[in-house]
Amino acid sequence: MNKLILIFALSFLYFAAGAQNVFITKDAKINFNSSTPLEDIVAESNQATTVIDIEKNVVKFSVLTTSFKFRRALMEEHFNENYMESPKFPKASFTGKIVSVVDWKSDKAVNAEIKGTLTMHGVSNEVSLKAVITPGKNKISASAELKVTPEAYHIAIPSAVRDKIAKEVTIKIEAIYAPLQ
Amino acid sequence: MKNNLLTSAALILLAFFYAGSVKGQDLDSLMEKSVKPQTVYATATFKSTRVVNGHSVERMKKNQLEFRVSHRFGEFNTGSYNFWGLDQGTIHLALEYGITDWLEAGIGRSTYEKTADAFAKVSLLRQSSGAKNMPIHLSYLASTEIIGINYNQAMQQNFSSRMSFIQQIMIARKFNESLSLQLTPTFIHRNLVPQEVEKNDLFSVGVGGRYKLSKRIALNVEYFYVYRGNENAINQSVPTPTKYYNPLSVGIDIETGGHVFQIMVTNAQAMREGGFIGKTTGSWGGGGIHLGFNISRVFSFSK
Repeated sequence: MNKLILIFALSFLYFAAGAQNVFITKDAKINFNSSTPLEDIVAESNQATTVIDIEKNVVKFSVLTTSFKFRRALMEEHFNENYMESPKFPKASFTGKIVSVVDWKSDKAVNAEIKGTLTMHGVSNEVSLKAVITPGKNKISASAELKVTPEAYHIAIPSAVRDKIAKEVTIKIEAIYAPLQ
Repeated sequence: MKNNLLTSAALILLAFFYAGSVKGQDLDSLMEKSVKPQTVYATATFKSTRVVNGHSVERMKKNQLEFRVSHRFGEFNTGSYNFWGLDQGTIHLALEYGITDWLEAGIGRSTYEKTADAFAKVSLLRQSSGAKNMPIHLSYLASTEIIGINYNQAMQQNFSSRMSFIQQIMIARKFNESLSLQLTPTFIHRNLVPQEVEKNDLFSVGVGGRYKLSKRIALNVEYFYVYRGNENAINQSVPTPTKYYNPLSVGIDIETGGHVFQIMVTNAQAMREGGFIGKTTGSWGGGGIHLGFNISRVFSFSK
């Protein structure tokens, strides 16, 4: 009977070990900036969930648009009500593949390119982002940046405020992943 | 022995499935699961802190200051000599500040009876769904008004005769993206009333609603039923009676960035509760209606 338990334990360990290829975090930071000389428009969320599968080189991202905090409460309200339409489209998400070769066994920071689909406001677009990835056994750090235009995601900006909002919005992402337990 | 083999095979299979369920788990469902259920609060139930004249459940958030300018032209039925009311104007200026996300305080000054006012508005319940479910917004307003206009000698004797106190509960629900409705039970105590037949304590129930015509434009309607008993009937015996009406207002909200512009038609001239609930003398039937607007500008003092 002892042998049986041993077999069970060993086989469990063997099969379970496979999960080590997935890293996750629930509090990644995303901020965006669409400031113009007329208006500072910056917002940050630290509630983004993201996973990285180092075997398949797949990255996924998801964030609730209502989790973005602005300095001006009214701006936050307008962001959710008028621009992102958060009640209708609560999430922004990204699914992508790391196209550069990353040596996951090293612990040196590398520049990597990630190509994938960014979905927000109910519209999906192919995007490519430049990332810096620092692999590690128990921790993977990553940061990335991309630029998007509101028009590409069918986010209409009324002419009255067109000059106050940047034509191109810079999105910055910072995440520290831990192995999936 | 045979039994043992079978059991071990079963255990290995079990281990395989268990571990496999982690290993082969779809990344999407993994992310779904790792996100805690969130509470989603209904925001922007109304575009402004006022439905038209009366308060809405909305407040300034923490460290946000609102400067409000409200203006009502004269009564439409005053004819061409008065350019149908546009020659006259009543103004109310107000500064309103969010001390916390749930507490707002404000001060104001009106040309109507030279009234000064101060209020506090507390949000007690917020409509939400998700992790926490709450079907309604509930806010409470306490306000004091002090009339500054020159009274006749007898009335001027004490300051307290100039004061009115307003207690109001606002119950609102955002039914969907377009439609929000509000019920507003109100109690007003006036220390001194203009006519003997009038009650010092007034009970009123307001109903208000907004319907979004587009993302930035909304139609608002507001009506206050005021319980006056048979005050108007008794008043017929007075030589020059003042007849009061229930205020009905119809307005359009237009939102542009940091401004909200409200334009309305109302039979109330005053822009404070004691005035528009207690002393509305214009009637829709008799053309005693005013064109008016509220302008709101919000300043942020958060870092």
